[in-house]
Amino acid sequence: MSRIFEASGAPTLEVGAHGPVGLGRLRAFVEREQVYSWLMLTPPVLFLLAFLGYPFFYGVYLSFFHREVAGAASFVGLRNFVTLANDPIFWQSVGNTVKFTAAATVLKAVGGLCMALVMNQNFRMKAFSRAMLLLPFIVPTVLSTVAWQWILDPGMGLFNRLLVVSGLANPGPSWLGSPTLAMISIIMVNTWRGLPFFGISILAGLQTIPIELHESATIDGAGTWGRFRYVTLPSLLPVLFIVTTFSIIITFFDFQLVYVLTGGGPANSTHLMATYAYSISMGAGQMGLGSAVALSMVPVLGLLLVLLTIYVRKD
Amino acid sequence: MAQPAPPKASRRDFLKLAAGAATVATGPFISRHAQAKPTTITFARESSYVKNFDEHFQKVLIPAYQKSTGIKIEYQIQAAGGGAVPQLVSMVENKSGADLAWVQQEWLYRDALVDVSDIAEAVGKEQGGWYDEIKALSVDNGKWKSVPQANIGQVMVYRKDWFDEAGIKKFPDTWDEFLEAGIKLKAKGHPFGMSMGHGFADNYSWLYPLLWSYGVTVMDKTGKKVALDSSETAKAVDFVRRLYKEACIEDCVGWLDPHNNKAFLTSQISCTNNAYSIMVSAKRDLPEMGKVIDHALNPKGPTGQRYHSLVPVTHGVFAYGPDPQAAKDFLRWIMDPKQYRPWISSGDMYFAPYLHAFDKFPDWDIEPRVKPFQKVLETGKLTSWPAPANRAHGAVVNRWVVIDMFSKACTGAPTKSVIAEAVGQLKQIYGVA
Repeated sequence: MSRIFEASGAPTLEVGAHGPVGLGRLRAFVEREQVYSWLMLTPPVLFLLAFLGYPFFYGVYLSFFHREVAGAASFVGLRNFVTLANDPIFWQSVGNTVKFTAAATVLKAVGGLCMALVMNQNFRMKAFSRAMLLLPFIVPTVLSTVAWQWILDPGMGLFNRLLVVSGLANPGPSWLGSPTLAMISIIMVNTWRGLPFFGISILAGLQTIPIELHESATIDGAGTWGRFRYVTLPSLLPVLFIVTTFSIIITFFDFQLVYVLTGGGPANSTHLMATYAYSISMGAGQMGLGSAVALSMVPVLGLLLVLLTIYVRKD
Repeated sequence: MAQPAPPKASRRDFLKLAAGAATVATGPFISRHAQAKPTTITFARESSYVKNFDEHFQKVLIPAYQKSTGIKIEYQIQAAGGGAVPQLVSMVENKSGADLAWVQQEWLYRDALVDVSDIAEAVGKEQGGWYDEIKALSVDNGKWKSVPQANIGQVMVYRKDWFDEAGIKKFPDTWDEFLEAGIKLKAKGHPFGMSMGHGFADNYSWLYPLLWSYGVTVMDKTGKKVALDSSETAKAVDFVRRLYKEACIEDCVGWLDPHNNKAFLTSQISCTNNAYSIMVSAKRDLPEMGKVIDHALNPKGPTGQRYHSLVPVTHGVFAYGPDPQAAKDFLRWIMDPKQYRPWISSGDMYFAPYLHAFDKFPDWDIEPRVKPFQKVLETGKLTSWPAPANRAHGAVVNRWVVIDMFSKACTGAPTKSVIAEAVGQLKQIYGVA
């Protein structure tokens, strides 16, 4: 670490007459790699413990208690989890969450890849287009979801107006009234919102692929598809893996979009684990049971984090 | 350093005399505050759909109270739309936020509220007495834990012009007639839009009354036995499925509370169940539509009874606040007829007091189309009825157990299975066999 300071050419601290030895020792102590790294790590670790660790462990604690809002807690062991195991809506929300996450992630990955490949070409207004594509990611979710409510409105909505005007359907479908279409709608909105994250990350990955690889593949007779299949895709795999893993985690815990668009309805067909946990904890005031629902999401997150860690270390 | 000379004794005496004279002149209520250190009281309320109502509170009542007591009222407006309950829950959990509030779903945190029996009883005495049903919410173990302010009525809102065109001169008196009318109107391109999604009032405001009018309640009077498992429930479920398929817009099965307002105001539906807010918006923004909107009471069921769902506004004082007595004094002050009656008037009767003194309140006659909202109080029940309004009942409402029983049937599930699922959930929530 000290080598870095020396090489940087930064002015060294003037040491006064009152203790050059003490300050020098302190500097030497601080600059030891083990000490310095912990000094740097401590603030974020404390931050994480306070704002992530505390709520998480409090949630774990609550899940073993029968605890209602403003009420006393009584230890119930695993009873909350047993209750959930026998709760058909919990299992429906688990199924919904898996379907929602899987479909939205695949769509975002494929769409993001296409978006990045297009954005990697040279065309007029490229920078402007790239900036515009980030919009869904920038607009606050609640705001864009309210706009989607209007877009999906059965009578006045953009989708159904287009379908009616083009003669494809009259009247248009009920996007949020049919259980199947409601699920498709939330997947669509989530994909729309998450696409730029994939697109921009993959674009960054694309730009790191050396042009020489493409040139030599072309000389070897590879066509467009061949270059994509054997040069671009393998080079992008590390980026794709990390972006997909992050996206799965974020999608798995999605709450705002569903809460605003459908509230988990109709007939629980779009209830995700996050919205179900919220309705039990904050709506019904059953903090223990709600925490148990939220905690049930942790094994999936844990597994993904393990996979991510293994991959990053291997890399 | 030289100290300034102390004020003369005669000046102190004069001040004491003046304070004493003021105390005698302004009465015992203000005297307590004349001596107390001026404080601030935070009052949290969900924003009202009626602008004048909030403005009257902010521009008339708050300054008047500050003028007479020196106490400043911080009016903390919470966003409407179902978000207030999580805020209140979080306030109670953290023992902070407000001194008194519109205590929505107070069963969740009654232990955190102080006894306000003295206020409720005095207000009842001076204003004709309380409607009985509201006591089931505000009174807990013989003590008033909140003071009811008013009911937000939920009735049928319909397009009178379209009903007339379809040859329906009088709003249907029974649910069967309601279905018949809906079929006619849907055939003319004007379906009904009855909310059945995961909202917070417009769904239960017609589904619970419909269920009750079939002679069914969710729980029995004790709240220890599930009463939903009955053949009458099956009839009600079958009826709602038919109503949805034959008379309603498809979307309504997934609607949250803003959706029916939006659909009505964009002329997509001819009837829904809602508060007075649709007419308020139409009169303000769509005057032509404002002329052809009317309200009607919920239809009667096979039992011949008609019911409505109460949506209560009650005010409670948090026990953990720095000065609960000061908050109680303010609550007593706003419920005094001198303040309370003009405040209710300012809301164009959107808020209907649970006090019999208002049965003949002249403001009810200003707009005849608002009159049904007064009648709601006569047949209105809490969603817990006839069981106690407790946490378990709140969980049933907030987890949409009864609503989803109907919406599942509408989206294709068989009657028997939707009732069995609802009964299973009720048993789990109430912890009964």
